[in-house]
Amino acid sequence: MVEHDSSDERVNRRKYLKALTVGAAAGIAGCTGGGGAETEGTESGSGDSSGSSGDDTETGGSSSGSTWDSQLEVLHGWAGGDGEAAVTALIEAFEEEYPEMDTNFQAVGASANVNLNATILRRLANNNPMSSFANWPGKNLERYSGALMDLEADVWDAEGFKDTMQSRAVELCKFNDKMPAVPIGSHRMNNLFYNTAVFEEAGIDASSLDSVDALLDALEAIDQNTDVTPMAQAMVAPWTNLQLWAQILTSQSGVEAYTNFIEGNPDRAAVVEALEALKTINENYITADASSISFTTAGQKVISGNAATIHQGNWVYGMFRADDSFNYKEQWDWIPFPGTEGIYFYHVDSIVAPSNNPSREETIAWQKFVGTKKAQIAFNNPKGSVPLRTDIDPSELTDFLAMTYEDLTDSEAYPPTIAHGLAVTPKTMGACKTAFGDNFMGPFKVEATADALVEAVSE
Amino acid sequence: MATHDNTEQVTDTTDEAVGWESKLRYFLNSDFVRSAPYWGIPFVLMSIAVYGGIGYNFAISFTDYEGLGTPDYSTLDLEMYTQALSSDAFISAAQNNLVLLVGFTTICLVLGLFLAVLLDHGIRFSEKFQTVYLLPMSLSFVVTAQLWLWMFNVESGILNLVVTTLGFNPVDWLGNPSIALGAVIFALIWQFSGYTMVVYLAGLQSIPDDQFEAARVDGASIIRTYLRIIVPQLKEASVSAAVVLMVFALKAFTFLYALVGRYRPPNGTDILATLMVRRAFKFGEWAYSAAIATMLLIMALGVIGPYLYYQYKQGSL
Repeated sequence: MVEHDSSDERVNRRKYLKALTVGAAAGIAGCTGGGGAETEGTESGSGDSSGSSGDDTETGGSSSGSTWDSQLEVLHGWAGGDGEAAVTALIEAFEEEYPEMDTNFQAVGASANVNLNATILRRLANNNPMSSFANWPGKNLERYSGALMDLEADVWDAEGFKDTMQSRAVELCKFNDKMPAVPIGSHRMNNLFYNTAVFEEAGIDASSLDSVDALLDALEAIDQNTDVTPMAQAMVAPWTNLQLWAQILTSQSGVEAYTNFIEGNPDRAAVVEALEALKTINENYITADASSISFTTAGQKVISGNAATIHQGNWVYGMFRADDSFNYKEQWDWIPFPGTEGIYFYHVDSIVAPSNNPSREETIAWQKFVGTKKAQIAFNNPKGSVPLRTDIDPSELTDFLAMTYEDLTDSEAYPPTIAHGLAVTPKTMGACKTAFGDNFMGPFKVEATADALVEAVSE
Repeated sequence: MATHDNTEQVTDTTDEAVGWESKLRYFLNSDFVRSAPYWGIPFVLMSIAVYGGIGYNFAISFTDYEGLGTPDYSTLDLEMYTQALSSDAFISAAQNNLVLLVGFTTICLVLGLFLAVLLDHGIRFSEKFQTVYLLPMSLSFVVTAQLWLWMFNVESGILNLVVTTLGFNPVDWLGNPSIALGAVIFALIWQFSGYTMVVYLAGLQSIPDDQFEAARVDGASIIRTYLRIIVPQLKEASVSAAVVLMVFALKAFTFLYALVGRYRPPNGTDILATLMVRRAFKFGEWAYSAAIATMLLIMALGVIGPYLYYQYKQGSL
């Protein structure tokens, strides 16, 4: 009896073991199977990138369908303030147009796209792409090289965007013979915003500021004549120094010096001269807590009258506007960064589509929508940026944006911004930021920074 | 002799007769296999999730994997390691890590011991003090980082309020690279000294009062009593507290990330963990980051290893 029992038990145990082994085998097979699928996916992804003819035939068959099967998943970094208002307006406009589409718009963190870019990179590396994501076009797309969808035929040609978008924006949306992005708006970079009351108190005529030296004199006058800190600067991250330095370089040595720098032929003397000026500003005229504040806090200092001026992209306009008691031409005003009149320092936000797209048709419809007048006006008014279409009626934009829009359409030069992905590859941009991060956050080491900057672009 | 031979023969023959089926049955009947469903499943899950991850990281660190795409395992070399060891950023991050590890752990232990000794003297409200000291430990890094960001603010922070009231110039706690690491260590000590205090307090309370009395009878001063009699008995507590603190020091990434909200911490406070995450998720340099991760793991093992060995020697492992 006992033996019998135990053998019975053994049978059960065997079943158990068998089940366990089968389970484990299935698990292992699942893992390797997944791995296999992953490589296959990537291969087809790179296949996509080499030949675009396949794409065309596919579209011809299915673009007529009006029912949407897949969910549109869009990742963006506009998680607060004016950015959030802008993207909400854009989404509302889109859902009005496509009420039946299942959409999933996700805001991933804020702080200068750090979390957004990390999430996109991780998901693309894991071969788990989303429908589209917000990112800078231009050299920045290098980050996602080999994993981008070509929208040239389905979106750009289909909608005639090449004729209605600024030619510069069209160029920036081209990447390795593909057009994976549609621009949504442009911020101007060469701005100097100022608190009118403080300038008045210090006796400064903003329109007379036409060079970096004039700016330095004005900052000195504010320092001497008022209790206000002359300039607000945010140095919690190095990009603010990088972009301000780029403005100073362009102002002192001209657009050509800047262009040479981003193209890898830096003039070290010009680099040093600009760094010296920036050092003077950072050592004497900025708030003491600069090293630990972000640009939003810095902007607040101008609003509250604790700082006289700030240099930033015109996203601070979106911020200023949120304060009802701080109005354009009344409490604050704007000039192009001294010495850069007639130049529009170019920044572009765009919506990019990855290859292996999980919702091809939905993505195309969405990318087409991003380029429409309706979308560009809905998004840019709250964002404080300007549309990249050339056929927008400026009266549909706010006063400040209408002025910026006019500058966007007729300036003498449009150097692309270095701190925001357009001018150099992400790696070089990272090296430039590190140059400032390591050597120019106080104490300000001009020579070391110059060496690091020159090395960064020469690589 | 003969019988002995005989038995051997018998077993031999049975072995042959039994054959592989019975052997398998014996094997399957063993405790090892019978308990397999209980330890096997967690073992497999652990292996895949933790050690599989470590192994994969290790493998990637030998490749040149970068950006999107798949790693190429055909050429494996130590290039990423040599590249890291010759990079200034890596060296300074490793140095900062070491300073953080040693400075933070030592001061936490000394301060925690001091507080524990004070509380052990049966002062009034000692339980309440205990709670007060331990409370920061229960807060998330995210909360303490934000709190200290405000405390360290140059213009409005409370620390500079004290400094300027005393007649000194305001100090840029987080902005000055030569002070920033000290400021971070200070904040971490504030958070963790309560923990060491509790560990020591438990150790102190387990020491019988007789020893204090005996020491007093022998005429030893209080300081001498503690240094010669009490503290040596707290070795166990010190070791376990030190290991926990060191591991926290290696993981200080959370605190630094929460402090600035980005992958680049204040200048002078870059540690291996922040460097690793920055290289990986900002620049997609997977192989390089994997090499840093491996070296970080070796550092952590360097801390944990001796402790495990110590525990093993003590017979408690």
